[in-house]
Amino acid sequence: MEGQVGIGFRRDISQEILESSVLTPDFLEFAPENWMGMGGYWNRIRKEAVEKYPVTCHGLSLSLGSPEELDWDFIRELKIFLDENQVSIFSEHLSYTKSRNAHLYDLLPIPFRQDAVDHVVDRIKQVQNFLERPLAIENVSYYTPVAAEMTEIEFVSEIVEKAECKLLLDVNNVYVNAFNHGYDAREFIGKMPLDKVEYIHMAGHEQVEPDLIIDTHGQPIIDPVYDLFEWTIQRMDPVPVLLERDFNFNELEELQSELTHLKSIVKKHWKAAPESSETKLLVANKNRRSHETA
Amino acid sequence: MKLHKETEQIQHLLGDYCRNGIEQDIPGLTPGRVHHYRRLVYNVVKGAMDTAFPITLAALGEEQWEELVQDFFANDFPQTPQIWKLPFEFYRFHATRETGQRIRQPYLEDLLYFEWIEIEVHTMPDRPYPQVLPHGNIFIDRLAFNPEFEIIRLDYPVHLYAAEKASEMKGDYFVLIFRTPDSGKVQFLNLSGINTYILTRMVEEDVPLNQLKGDIAQVSGIESGKYLDDALEKFIGDLMEKQLILGFLKE
Repeated sequence: MEGQVGIGFRRDISQEILESSVLTPDFLEFAPENWMGMGGYWNRIRKEAVEKYPVTCHGLSLSLGSPEELDWDFIRELKIFLDENQVSIFSEHLSYTKSRNAHLYDLLPIPFRQDAVDHVVDRIKQVQNFLERPLAIENVSYYTPVAAEMTEIEFVSEIVEKAECKLLLDVNNVYVNAFNHGYDAREFIGKMPLDKVEYIHMAGHEQVEPDLIIDTHGQPIIDPVYDLFEWTIQRMDPVPVLLERDFNFNELEELQSELTHLKSIVKKHWKAAPESSETKLLVANKNRRSHETA
Repeated sequence: MKLHKETEQIQHLLGDYCRNGIEQDIPGLTPGRVHHYRRLVYNVVKGAMDTAFPITLAALGEEQWEELVQDFFANDFPQTPQIWKLPFEFYRFHATRETGQRIRQPYLEDLLYFEWIEIEVHTMPDRPYPQVLPHGNIFIDRLAFNPEFEIIRLDYPVHLYAAEKASEMKGDYFVLIFRTPDSGKVQFLNLSGINTYILTRMVEEDVPLNQLKGDIAQVSGIESGKYLDDALEKFIGDLMEKQLILGFLKE
């Protein structure tokens, strides 16, 4: 899927993706928590989507940074889901979503500290071993540091190196964090382990205060984020690129124009990589059939 | 564990603040920013509960509803990693605490359960369907049931009436909830006590209706005969039309 541009598979636009020609992503990304263990109508929709498109998964609830034990029952179910859907890339957030054994359902920032690095590295290794696949961890947006003793770039880079995992580079998150915390986004990306990037996320955001942006996934991508994306991909090998949109689906044409814009940037700089989406899809489906008959 | 106690404690303080909104002494924050975490986390949970329980929200009004959501999120320890299952934990929390009695809305537990069960039946894992014959005799052949259904018992008829009226009608109510095979949509059917009895026996014992007629006559007080046969035929016909009964089992 290198150099291909996909979209997050949300229920609100599932029909449009499956039935209309307005949206033409190359692949789909599922949040496994929103589909695991689900039967009925949505199970049929999931199966249809998996038949039609290559799939990546982006987890929400592993809570890699939590003090609590990993939830092995959940991880066992997750493995089944990833295998069943022949997921090519599985990613998660470098954050925590659980505290005092209570799920919080949003991403809290891990303190940038050495003990947290060591703790998260251990957990990523455990998860990778169990899932028998590499994990790509996402640099998350954050609105305040918490008890930091090292920089964000040191924190992320050391975890990726020690855990021997992959990186999901969220370009919008870098932009948001650079704005919120007053650093240079290009300099930050230049220091990231770009050779470990397996996947890129792009999204819109919302400025809520003069000095604060919230990563909402509810607005179109702004030009400076496209610029940062273009600057970034010239410094790395082709990987899949995902457009994240969680709500405000009123204008599908607007979403398609974002996909088209991303594809045009990708095509400009990653000339060697992209097969056409149709060709890639045929290959993916062929691989799927081979797997089924193996 | 490699995480130091101090770091763990700091993480819990931020988590506590997000759950209950009570300010904590968290080191190293940028001033004026941390409240966004409370807002974002709480909005996710509130949004999920609003979506799951629209009838309860409307019955209680925004203010009282908000108190229930705050109470739940501050004092419960949500266990599911899948937020679409969280409404069940919300129902269970308030049922265990008898919140309905405390706020003088006695129907609350039933209404939360009724709204949750719609989600549960709509999303529950697929169950294996039986092989079905389209033709047969409803009295002598075994019936093939749509396996994706639940029967619940309520104290208040929240499935029939608005909450205020339902709260004045305490009794024994039974509701059949099932997933339609083709569309996956959820249907509800109010059941009388005797029809609940008949349906439960048929499903649990998997025998032809004729074998149950004696017991049905005894429980219902209706003599076995044409009147009872007609009533059973109508009941089974309704269930077939609604696709709870799909046909007849292959012997």
